[in-house]
Order: sequence, then C-alpha cells, then structure tokens
Amino acid sequence: MIDRRHFLQGLSATAIAADSLIGLGADADTPGLTQAEAEVAKQILPSKDSSPLHIGIIGPGSRGKELVRNFLRVPGIKIVAASDVYAPRFQELNDLCGYPVAALSDFRELCDRKDLDAIVVATPLGLHADHVLAALASGHAVYGEKTMAYTVDQARQIVSAVEAGKRLYQVGHQYRYSPWIRAAIARVQAGEIGTVTHIEGYWHRNNDWRRPVPDPSLERLINWRLYHQWSLGLLAELGSHHIDIANWVFGSTPITALASGSICRYHDGRETDDNVQAVLGYSDGRRFIFNSVTDNAKMGDQLWLYGNKGSLNLTLEDATFFYEPHQIERAKPSAHGEEKGVTTSASYRSSGEMPYRGPGRPVNVTTAEDPTTAATRAFIYCVRTSSRPIADVHVGLGSALAVVQSNQARLQKREIEVPPPSM
Amino acid sequence: MHFHQLIGRCFVGALFLILSAWSPANTSSGELFGSATKSAIDVEPLEYFHKTHPAMGTEFSIDIYAHNQSEADRAINLAFDEVDRLEDLLSNYRPSSELSRISREASNEPVTTDPETFRFLQRAFYWSARSEGAFDITVGPLLRAWGFFFQGGRIPSGSELVSLRSKVGWQKVILDSQARTVSFSHHQSMELDPGSIGKGFAIDQVVTMLHGLGVTSAFLSAGGSTLYAIGAPPGTTGWPVNIPDPIHPGRIASRILLKDSSLSTGACTEKFFIKDGHRYCHIFDPKSLRPVEGVLQTSVIDPSATDSDALSTVVFVLDPTLSRRVIESTPGRKALVFRRPQTHQSCLNMNWPGDPCGQA
Repeated sequence: MIDRRHFLQGLSATAIAADSLIGLGADADTPGLTQAEAEVAKQILPSKDSSPLHIGIIGPGSRGKELVRNFLRVPGIKIVAASDVYAPRFQELNDLCGYPVAALSDFRELCDRKDLDAIVVATPLGLHADHVLAALASGHAVYGEKTMAYTVDQARQIVSAVEAGKRLYQVGHQYRYSPWIRAAIARVQAGEIGTVTHIEGYWHRNNDWRRPVPDPSLERLINWRLYHQWSLGLLAELGSHHIDIANWVFGSTPITALASGSICRYHDGRETDDNVQAVLGYSDGRRFIFNSVTDNAKMGDQLWLYGNKGSLNLTLEDATFFYEPHQIERAKPSAHGEEKGVTTSASYRSSGEMPYRGPGRPVNVTTAEDPTTAATRAFIYCVRTSSRPIADVHVGLGSALAVVQSNQARLQKREIEVPPPSM
Repeated sequence: MHFHQLIGRCFVGALFLILSAWSPANTSSGELFGSATKSAIDVEPLEYFHKTHPAMGTEFSIDIYAHNQSEADRAINLAFDEVDRLEDLLSNYRPSSELSRISREASNEPVTTDPETFRFLQRAFYWSARSEGAFDITVGPLLRAWGFFFQGGRIPSGSELVSLRSKVGWQKVILDSQARTVSFSHHQSMELDPGSIGKGFAIDQVVTMLHGLGVTSAFLSAGGSTLYAIGAPPGTTGWPVNIPDPIHPGRIASRILLKDSSLSTGACTEKFFIKDGHRYCHIFDPKSLRPVEGVLQTSVIDPSATDSDALSTVVFVLDPTLSRRVIESTPGRKALVFRRPQTHQSCLNMNWPGDPCGQA
C-alpha cells in the first residue's frame, strides 16, 4: 500500500504557509503543519467556486439525507437524481432539498445518467460494492459510505476499479477531516505523548439500534443493520471509524484480529450482536482495542491513544491531552560526595494507581465544524480540481480489511490474520 | 444552544413561573379515540407516558398517549434524537454547529447553507422585519457586554454600548434565497443566537415527525417556555395549560386548553440580574441596546411554535400598540402581556380567550 503521507508528498500540493491558509490553526505549540495537513487544509477551505455541479444519490435514507444536507452547504451543488427501493425516501429527499429530485427505482438507471458529476452511495453495507462498482464503471466520481465493502474481495475490486479507471473515490471516514482530530494527531505524530502503543475505542450507546418500521414486511429493509444479509454489525457501523483512526495513528493496517460478541440485551430476532469486543494487532505488538455495548451510554463514543509520555482523548467534539507523571531520571550524586540516608517506609500509595482526573489540556482549533460538512466539501473540491481525496480508496481498504476480518474472528472464535493491503 | 443557561442557573430561584401542563390520569379510553384504524390498535388501550431530556440549555419533555411502552419509546426517542440533531445544527455554544459556521465565515464571503438552516434564518429575519427590529437574533454581543454569559451581570458604559452598534443588527445579515447564502454586509463576524426562536423551531420539527409516526395525542415542552399540544388527551378537548399571574404570585391568570397549537412565554423572572435594586432582564431592546424595562411576562398562542417563540419576544420588546397590530392581524394568534403595574396598563389582552385581565 502506498503510505498516505508519502503519497501526498508526491502530489503537487504547494507548500503554502498553513496559517494564512486555514485557521485549522491549532495551539501555538503545535508543530508546523506537514504537507499532508496543508493538503487537507486546502481541501476543506471554504469554497469560492460555485460553478454548478450535479449529484446523484443511491440510498437517500437517514445517513444519505444527512450527506445530502451537508453537500447542499457547498456552493453550486444540486441533487438531481436519486435511486432507492423504498419509495417514501423520495418525498423526504424532495422536502430536504426544497425542489423535486428525479426518482429512480433502479440504481443502474442513475449510473447511466449523463448529467451527473458525482454519485453518492449510502446504501446498506452488503450493497456497497454493487453500487460503488457500477457508479465507477459508468465513469462517475463516487463518495461511498463506510465501511467500504462487505468482503475483502469486494474491497479489492473497488481499489482496482478506482486505480485502473483513474476514478475519484472518497470513503465516508469523515473524521479524517475533523480539525481537532487532525490537529491532535499531528501533535501525537510529532511525539507529544511519546510512542503510541495502545489505542482503545469505546462506542457505547443505550438504545436498541432499531428504526421504526411502518409495516413488518419492511423490517429487514429498514433495520438492515440487525441482519447478516447486509450488515457486519457494530464492528462495521461504529468500529470502522475507530479502526480508521487507529490505522492512521499507527501508520499501517493491522495484521491480526480477535473478536467476540453476543446478544445479551435485545432478544428481538436480530442476528447481529448487541455488544462486540475486538483486539487488532499491529506490528511491533501494538494494539487497538474496540468495545461497543448498546445498553449503557456512560462511555459514549471516544478514543484513547496511549503513549509512554501521555494520553490523548478524542471525541466527536473535542480532543484533550493528558500527560504521564515525569519518568525516572538519572540520579546525580550530590556535589560533596556525601549521600543522605534514606528513611524506610512501607507504604503503598494508592494514588499511584488512580486514574488521572482533572480537565487535561484541550486542543484548541478555530474551525471546529462538523466533520461531515468538511468531508463533503473536500470531496467536491477534489471533483472540481481532480485532486486525490484524503480519505481515499486505500483508507477505505485499510478499515474494511480490519472490519471484515474482525467479524471473521468473531464468527470463528479465534485469532485470524488480516491480509496486507497490497497483494 | 445553551440559551444563557448560566444566568438562568444563578437566579433560577424564581422559577415558579414555568407553565405547567397537568398530567392527566391514566385512561383506558382507547375506544373513545375514534381514529384507531388497525386491528392491533383496537385491542390495546392508550396509555400515558412521559419523558424528559436535557437539550438546548433547558429540559425538553414529552407527554404522549401510546398503545404500549415500545410504541411510546420509539416516538419519544426519535423525537429527542430530532431535538439533539437540531441542537447540533443551531447551537451557538457548539463551534461545530452550522449556525456557528455561518457566524464565523459569513463576514468573509457568502456562506452557502442547507435548506433547513436557511429556512430557520429566513423565519428569524422575517420576524425582525415584521417587528421593525424588535426581534433580532444578532443581539448576542449585547448579552455578552451586559454579562449575561459568564459574569453574572454588569452594566456596560455608554461608549461601550455605542461601539456595539456596529456588531449587532439584523439588517447587516443578507439572505440570498436564490443562492441559499448568508453574508454579513459589514464584513465582520457576528453572533447569531437562536435563543429566542430555536426551541420553537425544534418543537415544530418534532411535531411534524410525530404526526408522521401517527401520534394523535402528545404534549411537548421546551423548558416550559415553548409548548405544543398535539390533539388532546383521550376524552378531553385539549391539554390544559396554566398561565401564572406575575403581578399576584401564586395566582393563575388564565387556564386554557391547548390543542394542535403552540404557546410560548417570555419572562424576566428566570434570567436576570439585580444591581442597585434594579432588575435587568435578559430580553433586549435592540434599538436602545438595553434590557427591556417594565414588562413582566408575555404569552403567545400560535399554530406554529417557531412563530409563538419569536412572538413572545416581539411583544415583550414592542410597545403595546405595535404588539397588538402584529398579534391581531392574524386569526388564531393570541397574546397576553403583563407589564409592571406602575408604568402602564398592567395586563394586555390581545385576542386571548376568557377574561385573563379581569383581576389584574
């Protein structure tokens, strides 16, 4: 796999003074931005170009509509066509856009249209590959929701289609565009918390993950996340975002996966687990540990990066650093060569084992906008300028490999290998 | 959308004002509720459910009649998800909200926004125009200068106030409905504060959603200041709401039955500070750049919660004659205004049902 940072350095990204450009401005103590950061900054800058650009969407359901809402914040964007198998979505989409959008029952018709500049795919995971590959084959730029594909083979087919066809594909790992996450990870990569060896991700909720179903015959269509046919469950729908961040921080994809899960709360006929745990092994023994439960939301959605000098906490709204107590220092003998006696004690101080409390040091960014707003704007920038997306097909592949193999490990109840990105 | 929560917390002692909807007793009168169509619904009587949810710097609540717990859970959870979504969209306390993005960027160049946010802004600035500037969501810097955000109240100097004139003013905000853009004509960043209309906007969206789910009897409250009644409790003609009499504490000025309509109240009993014996209210007159004086409480009934929310501020700020013109020009719109007794006629009835001013 092309290392993303090297790849970006290869791009013609002009090394612009980042400060004047963005306001992605981090703390004053943030190191100078890398070229990768400069490229992101360029992509998420408010758009001055408002030339008309037409988008079609396959699957304007709840996530699809949220994407549309965000695309409509980019100047010049018009949603012109949509395809879905569930007819009520068309009226909902019209209401959202404020104008009628051509309604198609077959996604192939949408791909065949000649008036589209890009296609958004926001369908159930098991259908991503069909829809993304068709959209790419018809020559369109594609914004595809995560997880990129349901199987490793499908994920590789998408990579091949993008590379062979020189197509533009961006995966919906929008946290790559979150200013506070980028600023925080840049500081981690500059060594602020030492070497990161462990990352823990919690995505805990307290609800049954169900959507209301107007008619029982629609259960599997609307609650597709609960059934194996199209879903890889919590690992894919929630875990894939955290895995992507772990891949980003570790600079590679995992090599092993262990996972478990069960249905322990919602015995309602669902097939996917209502709680999952996964341990992904990276090179040099590094680990990412993911945990998701759906009947207690105390932990919410958060990531912890642990380095030997400190920790970073990432949430949907902010990033906060915590620092380890000072490490052992080499002792210096006293100047006159006379050592003081040591007074004995036998006390065990519990404070040494207590979690750090207190506010930590927040990462300050001046443009903390919704990551999806930034990601969609960046995609349009790439379409208009033929640039390579930050969350490109390799980002999508890395996360998909780990999700698919974690799910295999969960099924097989053993540690299994995660294949490398490049065959 | 924290809505000046801090001051509210500091002085919340006088919170008795909160409009109360009685909790109607459980009923098994499913058969009274003639709209039931599905067979499953016919056998299950309607039950009464209630849930609260912290959002927008206050507490939202829903009272709902549903056929069973899971139907109630569905509706209530979706409703509160919708409130949270709108708080994410409109909060001026969250830098990641769309409204914050606009406040930040519209000084540089026109900001394209989504149709929903644009519609929200259009309605807010409609009320600014309609009220000749009495309603104005750009007054954030005034609240800041008067210490309503973090300081527990202060009185700014005259020159400080004059300097604020360049920072506030609804006419500086340009909406281009063709391009769906927002821009600030003076090229300075502004602080768009949804506090006087956002809760009503959220309630309206939830009402639309609940209608879509087939809910026929529910009562929504955004911290007691904006209320909406869907239908009525089974076997009744409306959801009962009490309007307290701020001149005679403990007394109820009006008791109305609300049905398929909203009611919003503005008052100075919740968010204010007292300095040298004078009470300074968090509702501002954008013309004088000062807190409104002499008004105790306003209540407005309107089919739209967005509008009643905005109008409760409009009639708080506008003088009685202009207020009456705004209220009485539209059928179905009603207002009840209490002013400090020594300054004006203390109770003003604008199409309000009954005789609420009888004892004032």
